[in-house]
Amino acid sequence: MFLTQKTGKMEKILTVRNIFVGNKEVKILRNINFEIKKREILSIVGESGCGKSMTLRTIIKLLPKNLKILKGEIYFEDIKITEYNEIGKIRGKKIGMIFQEPSSYLNPLFTIGNQIEEAIKNNIKKIEKKEKIMKILQEIGLSPDVYYSYPHQLSGGMQQRAMIAMALINNPDLLLADEPTTALDVTTAFGIIKLLKNLVSIYNLSIIFVTHDISLAKYISDKIIVMYAGIIVEKGDAYSIYNNPLHPYTQKLINCLPEKYNKREKIKTIEGEVPSFKNLPSGCPFSPRCEYKMKICEEKIPGEINVENRTVRCFKYGNTVES
Amino acid sequence: MKNILKRLKKTNCLSYYSFWIIIFLYFLALFADFIAPYPYNQQFREYPLCPPVKIHFFDQNKKFHLKPFIYEIKLVNPALNQYEIVKDKIYPVYFFVKGEKRKIFGLFNSTIYLFGTKEGKIFLFGTDMHGRDIFSRILYGARISLSIGIIGVSISFFLGFLIGGISGYFGGKIDNILMRIVEVFMMFPAFYLMLSLRAIFPLNLSSFQIYLLIVVILSLIGWAGLARIIRGMVLSIKEEEYVLAARALGIPTFKIIFRHIIPNTFSYSITAITLSIPGYILGESTLSLLGLGIQEPYPSWGNMLSVCIGNLRILTEAPWMLIPGFFIFLTIICFNFLGDGLRDVLDPKNW
Repeated sequence: MFLTQKTGKMEKILTVRNIFVGNKEVKILRNINFEIKKREILSIVGESGCGKSMTLRTIIKLLPKNLKILKGEIYFEDIKITEYNEIGKIRGKKIGMIFQEPSSYLNPLFTIGNQIEEAIKNNIKKIEKKEKIMKILQEIGLSPDVYYSYPHQLSGGMQQRAMIAMALINNPDLLLADEPTTALDVTTAFGIIKLLKNLVSIYNLSIIFVTHDISLAKYISDKIIVMYAGIIVEKGDAYSIYNNPLHPYTQKLINCLPEKYNKREKIKTIEGEVPSFKNLPSGCPFSPRCEYKMKICEEKIPGEINVENRTVRCFKYGNTVES
Repeated sequence: MKNILKRLKKTNCLSYYSFWIIIFLYFLALFADFIAPYPYNQQFREYPLCPPVKIHFFDQNKKFHLKPFIYEIKLVNPALNQYEIVKDKIYPVYFFVKGEKRKIFGLFNSTIYLFGTKEGKIFLFGTDMHGRDIFSRILYGARISLSIGIIGVSISFFLGFLIGGISGYFGGKIDNILMRIVEVFMMFPAFYLMLSLRAIFPLNLSSFQIYLLIVVILSLIGWAGLARIIRGMVLSIKEEEYVLAARALGIPTFKIIFRHIIPNTFSYSITAITLSIPGYILGESTLSLLGLGIQEPYPSWGNMLSVCIGNLRILTEAPWMLIPGFFIFLTIICFNFLGDGLRDVLDPKNW
């Protein structure tokens, strides 16, 4: 840690390369490529059913039984996760994960303290464990009584904080946050967001943050990935993506934000729906909803094109075709 | 534990008292050596089918005695087992009375018992046709009848949880194989399975061997249906989000099954456990009744009752022989109430 600070070099913590996920019938993720550095926050944005959560679950190898990693590799630090058999050693210890609806992700039968304690991986005495939990509860902004409370006795925000405590108890290097604020009201959500931002420096943490809300993503993250129907359509640093979106889908997503409109103006939405994975269009998956649609869009999937220090998949910016 | 009892008292009074009755019964069974006035196999040949002896405080002249006492009883008609109470002599009942030497817990000898008389016989629940004290035999029989329930249930629930849990969680081939085995066990009617299992083993076993055998037979019958139900519950619970969260935390599979999934089946299984304990007590009674269980002179509630079955004379003339049945009933109903209450109390959402 000191080394990185001294040299100022940002080391890569996670590299995802050419990942394909699916089974014989469907492909949920196609050619996913990204990396995340230490102390960086990366947001994955997109509509429901774009494969955002699946990307997270691929990293931690928690895919549903009928889906498999078909191709590609994932490196976490020096470990090749895709071929690593003892994933249990990484889960919870090196990579933590928090989920969308905290109330259903906490076991209703045990106290919060009990559940956090269970997550502790080191063999330490019970009293030390309790001290550790009390410390983390305080850091996360929960009162010590929470240790003895059951999940149903806490509010949504407190539950989410407890989930974060559980994910961070082993000082992981990477936190996967699967829409942690979606089920919460705006003020509580804001508290959680602020907390996550603070935790990055306290715990020397990198976060992959999945959200629907592109303005939230811009606020929290350093980099943004925009996904559509299982492919990354645009990725780059947060500020430039928000202010100057290149891909038509990103443009439309940002156009849907209510704050862009005046009081009585009608808010535009994106026409149509995300295609289901069972019958994806043969070309660019966004082509049926795209206003810049060309002939090639319906035939071929665009490849990654580097434009203005970010990567876009759109034939508007070049004719690279996905192999 | 204390909290659970407190809540039990608050929410379900009936089950709270049932709990204490069960504890009391187990206490009686544990200290049977000390509490029972006579050994279970001591025969008083001069008192066959003696009715329960009443304890008095007032004598014939309505005079109050601080020490309770009993009257002497006398067999007047041996053919019809008619007894007469001789009222001119009173025998006071003493606590911590000296008696014949007996082993307590099978470890050390003692001559002091909780209560008894120096002269005369105190048969609180009467005697059977061999002149053995039914009260003492009930206490000794409780040891067998009550422990068979607990041990049998724990074995079969251990098997049920283990096999049901593994089968449900892993699914696929393992599930298929295990469930077919379960079906083989479920295919036989429980009663015939019990009889045939018992028939495999020789009849001339020592009573302790028979006891162990009955426990094993009863739990082998009980686990299959339970494993089936646990499997079904595990199948649905393993899809719950908190199981996914536990997996994301890197908790080992067996810990997930036994810490996260199985406890969530408790709302059902606690009730099932308490409801099935009576089944084991009755199962032991059934075997004893057919002469395949605990053999005389060792008492169990089942074989004490078995004497009465088919003997109309006993039913009409010596109804006190049915008292063991009352104890079976009491135990069963208390366990049922307790199970009912525990189910409500153990759910954290009701706190």
